[in-house]
Amino acid sequence: MKKPLNFAILKYFTTVDEACADDVIEALKPEYGKFRHLTPKAVLEALFTGRTNGFLEESRYEMVDGELKIYFKAPPEGRATINKYIPD
Amino acid sequence: MNSLNAIQAKERLESKFLKKGLTLAILSGMFYGLYTAFITLGMSLGVWDDWYGVNTAALSAFTITFALGALGSAVNYSISAVWGLGIAGARGKLGDFFRSLKSRPGRIMVIAALVGGPISTSAYVIGLQLAGSIIVPIAALCPAIGAILGRLLYKQKLNTRKIFGIAVCLAASFIIGLQSVAPEAPPQMMLGIAIAFIAAIGWGFEGCVAGYGTSMIDFEVGILIRQSVSGLAALFILTPLFLFIGGDGFRTLSLIGQVVTDSAAMPFFIISGFFTLYAFSLWYKGNAMCGTALGMAANGAFSFWAPFFCWIILGVIWGQDGWALSPIVWFAAILMFIGIVLIAVNPLTVFSKKKGANAK
Repeated sequence: MKKPLNFAILKYFTTVDEACADDVIEALKPEYGKFRHLTPKAVLEALFTGRTNGFLEESRYEMVDGELKIYFKAPPEGRATINKYIPD
Repeated sequence: MNSLNAIQAKERLESKFLKKGLTLAILSGMFYGLYTAFITLGMSLGVWDDWYGVNTAALSAFTITFALGALGSAVNYSISAVWGLGIAGARGKLGDFFRSLKSRPGRIMVIAALVGGPISTSAYVIGLQLAGSIIVPIAALCPAIGAILGRLLYKQKLNTRKIFGIAVCLAASFIIGLQSVAPEAPPQMMLGIAIAFIAAIGWGFEGCVAGYGTSMIDFEVGILIRQSVSGLAALFILTPLFLFIGGDGFRTLSLIGQVVTDSAAMPFFIISGFFTLYAFSLWYKGNAMCGTALGMAANGAFSFWAPFFCWIILGVIWGQDGWALSPIVWFAAILMFIGIVLIAVNPLTVFSKKKGANAK
């Protein structure tokens, strides 16, 4: 069964080394493309919230064509917590 | 190495996120105050006026003392759930509601809803009846309990400055609560205080656990779980239980029917249900975005907003006596604001930034 969008966003970080909001949107588009909340602003807010609660941490940031991209990663403890709450 | 542009853009984004979280947490406290004012108004009109006044329905003393509070709360939470259902549906989130309900974070939200809803609300009402208004400042301990639980359960950071800020907020809540303390101590005061402490622990637990849950579950989905569970549990378990103990159990359906068809009180329950939805959903989202300590301290200003909006709505607009705020309450509100700022921002950082800006 399809996971709720927020679950899928966090779960994605257990499959990659790092990702920014645009990467998450691209990866989830095939399954969640019709969800109104799959937007850069909403996804970035979910990533910041994930960071506040210890699921994610920031890995780096850079300006690309005048746009700020912040990359996040799930540290081992965060990865374990995500997998504990959101199993496959 | 990052360019100055990237550093500045990142700082702006970080600050925007923190400000949004803080704004939502403060708004949640204001909505809590509005919901308190409207439910208080609703429960003073129509059938409620009769039950708490002349009592032509001949309800038992126990029913009036305990069951009516539970009934009012149950109706309010249920209406709030209906609002939540409509809003989640309009925003295309109903699918996620059913999907989240079956998940582990969904079950955590259900537990938080039961602890914070029927259990803590009953403990608060019972404490109020046994010990009087002295329990109001006891219940206001919930932000501190939430912050401690956030540290223990989820390893959220607490430094000396944050602890000091929480203490300042608590002191302010105490000052407001003490304004309503009656001079004569009721005989069962200690038992009432002990039971009210259960409410403080329950709300601290709810804020901490549901805030953490909201970092996984969308806040509009999370609140729908909360209000549905709280509303159903209060309506079909708690209220009948209290009515049964009070000897009015056979009247459960009749009393619920009288409340929902009461044209004088019901419009205010519909309004209070709407504000309840945002009081709790923004509380959860604020806690998720800021961390439990800051989110709950900012929300904790409800101990000022509740008497404030009761004064505006019941006192100024509705013309009821006895709702005016004393100057000490305004002083406590300023103290609370200082406490929230202390938790959110390091004054030394702000000072050094300003110094840096002047140097340029």
